[in-house]
Amino acid sequence: MSVPGHPLDRMFNPKTVAIIGDKGPNYMWLRNNQPFKDQGGNLYSVQIDEKEIPGIEELGIENFRALTDIPEPVDYALVAVPRHVSPYVMKDLIEAEVGGAAFFTSGFAETGEELGVSLQAQITEMAREANFNVVGPNCMGLYLPRVGVRFNPDVPVANDGRVGFVSQSGTHSIMFSLVMGANGMHLSRCASFGNAIVLDISDYLEYLTEDPETEVIAMYVEGVKDGPRFVKALGAATARKPVVVWKGGQTDAGARATMSHTGSLASSHAVWRGIMRQCGAISTNSLDETVDAVKVLLDAKPSTGKRMALMAMTGGQSVSITDAFVGEGFEVGRLGEQSYEELSSFFNIVGGSFQNPLDMAGTVQGKRETLERILGILDADESVDALVMEQSAMFGARQWKDHPERVDDLVDTLASHIERSAKPFLMVMHPAHEEAFVSEVRLKFAERRIPVFASFERAAAAAAQALPHGTRS
Amino acid sequence: MTFAETIASARAENRTLLSEVEAKAALGDAGIPVTATTLAQTREAAAAQAEAIGYPVALKVVSPNVAHKSDVGGVVLGLESHEEVAEAYDEIIRSVQAAQPSAVIEGVSVQEMASPGVEVIVGVTTDPQFGPVMMFGLGGIMVEVLGDVAFRLAPLGEGDARDMIDEIQGRQVLDGVRGQPPVDIGAIEAMLDGVSGFAAEHPEVAELDLNPVIASPEGAIAVDARIVLAEA
Repeated sequence: MSVPGHPLDRMFNPKTVAIIGDKGPNYMWLRNNQPFKDQGGNLYSVQIDEKEIPGIEELGIENFRALTDIPEPVDYALVAVPRHVSPYVMKDLIEAEVGGAAFFTSGFAETGEELGVSLQAQITEMAREANFNVVGPNCMGLYLPRVGVRFNPDVPVANDGRVGFVSQSGTHSIMFSLVMGANGMHLSRCASFGNAIVLDISDYLEYLTEDPETEVIAMYVEGVKDGPRFVKALGAATARKPVVVWKGGQTDAGARATMSHTGSLASSHAVWRGIMRQCGAISTNSLDETVDAVKVLLDAKPSTGKRMALMAMTGGQSVSITDAFVGEGFEVGRLGEQSYEELSSFFNIVGGSFQNPLDMAGTVQGKRETLERILGILDADESVDALVMEQSAMFGARQWKDHPERVDDLVDTLASHIERSAKPFLMVMHPAHEEAFVSEVRLKFAERRIPVFASFERAAAAAAQALPHGTRS
Repeated sequence: MTFAETIASARAENRTLLSEVEAKAALGDAGIPVTATTLAQTREAAAAQAEAIGYPVALKVVSPNVAHKSDVGGVVLGLESHEEVAEAYDEIIRSVQAAQPSAVIEGVSVQEMASPGVEVIVGVTTDPQFGPVMMFGLGGIMVEVLGDVAFRLAPLGEGDARDMIDEIQGRQVLDGVRGQPPVDIGAIEAMLDGVSGFAAEHPEVAELDLNPVIASPEGAIAVDARIVLAEA
């Protein structure tokens, strides 16, 4: 699926990709993009250095000595040449009518030195005059998981991505993609846009707003060049789909770092936050907050209500889960009388409690019917807007390892509940001493769209920001 | 004098800071509630203006050189009669001249005193990335020490003013604490919308501060006003 007629549509849906200037011994860019070729895309190399060509051909990738020699129209090019060569490459890109090109090449205005500044001015002028789509320079370019165009060898190739990501930082775009993948969520499209000499944040935002594959948009931004245009694009985007804006450079020192990183002018954090609210965007301050908010947006049903039913496994966790949610402005009040009546008929109150929060390990004891019964009671309770349940890796990991079918059974119980219920359901599973095991097992939950958070605090913070905008129906 | 004329005269005098009297006249003309404020250049004029405004009144020195009026004895509040006003006029001129002999004194402003209420701040600043931005906060230490303020791009859209008011952490002060009656939130909203419209209409305004605005059950009224023009 694409956005027919949009000026960025070719580069975001490429059939032919050229990698210009990649070099051994690692051939990083050719290797990153091997999945594109494996999936039937035309992947070509452009390299004039005779020493490099045998290594390229060994990878099974056809090399051309000039971009203009490539027989098909090139939809997207990744440029990794030395900076002084970039004007020549720009000339060829324009001549070959390439759909868009990302310049991994750096050493431009971000250096502050004369040569870099003047080279940037030169390629900017060439591109603008030809109305040519430039991503960057000084960036990681595009990551298109469905077609296998990648900016890193570890980011997933996946055809189920629903999150668009736009980033001023290359590192953050890679790390966001990796951490999302590790949480079982994939990207639809991603652009790391660096110095943004031609295409700027609003261009990408406008494309993702139109893009039918993108259901949620997230971005990392340090500053914007055209504030009014960004505000307009953001307002138009949030009218269509949820947008999470992770702002870097919020402290005075961070803002100074922003200046030297991308030369962005910094507004005060309070002003920025106010404008984000006005635009209907969700503001976050870190990678983890962004991933958590996106998780709620993708996999939780929407709710504007603040009344939570909290389920924990033990007394101590009942206290902590309550503190976390109340601390974020939620209400943890009494359940309806009907719920108490029903719960009292089977709830084991020795070492447990069925007020709210429910302290329920002793009652559930791994029995599917009991958990289903509790979830059903809370779902029917009109004084409950949303459900949050703790699962304990501390106690659970050992038996889950011995009896993997119990994990599958729990996942199925919860996934079926979510499908039936109109209320948001969130799960919290602190990794405790089992980080490696939990990082694997949580993917089973993610596969069935059960949003799992690493702590009560993270779940509560994400819920406070994103629950009203949940996209799941 | 229209605001365009005020701007022209400030430009002619090579200044960007408008006087309180000029700022309030412009805002008042735009329908934004400000305390009645007139400029008196003699003790007799001050007394006559006070009679017209109605007691009690406040007197404040008008001088482009005095930044903090009360520090130089330039402010007297709660004057209840013709005689008190005339005496206060002389006293202000005397103390400002003594404290800051080089200050050019244009006169003294005679001002209506607002009835008591909650002090809030309404302002406009110019952001380097986004342009004019509206600000709202509670007055006094809430804004200075705690930075408890809300910002929105100007001009405000529907519902933005109310969101700004609801966003501040000290919001419940406006609902009345310790037996105080709740203030008229709608009047604060109207003031924010009015100032937003004023800023949109006058892009020459780089900064605008209404500090304080007194909000009460009867409404909201700006007691002090400051306007800084963008460099020409």
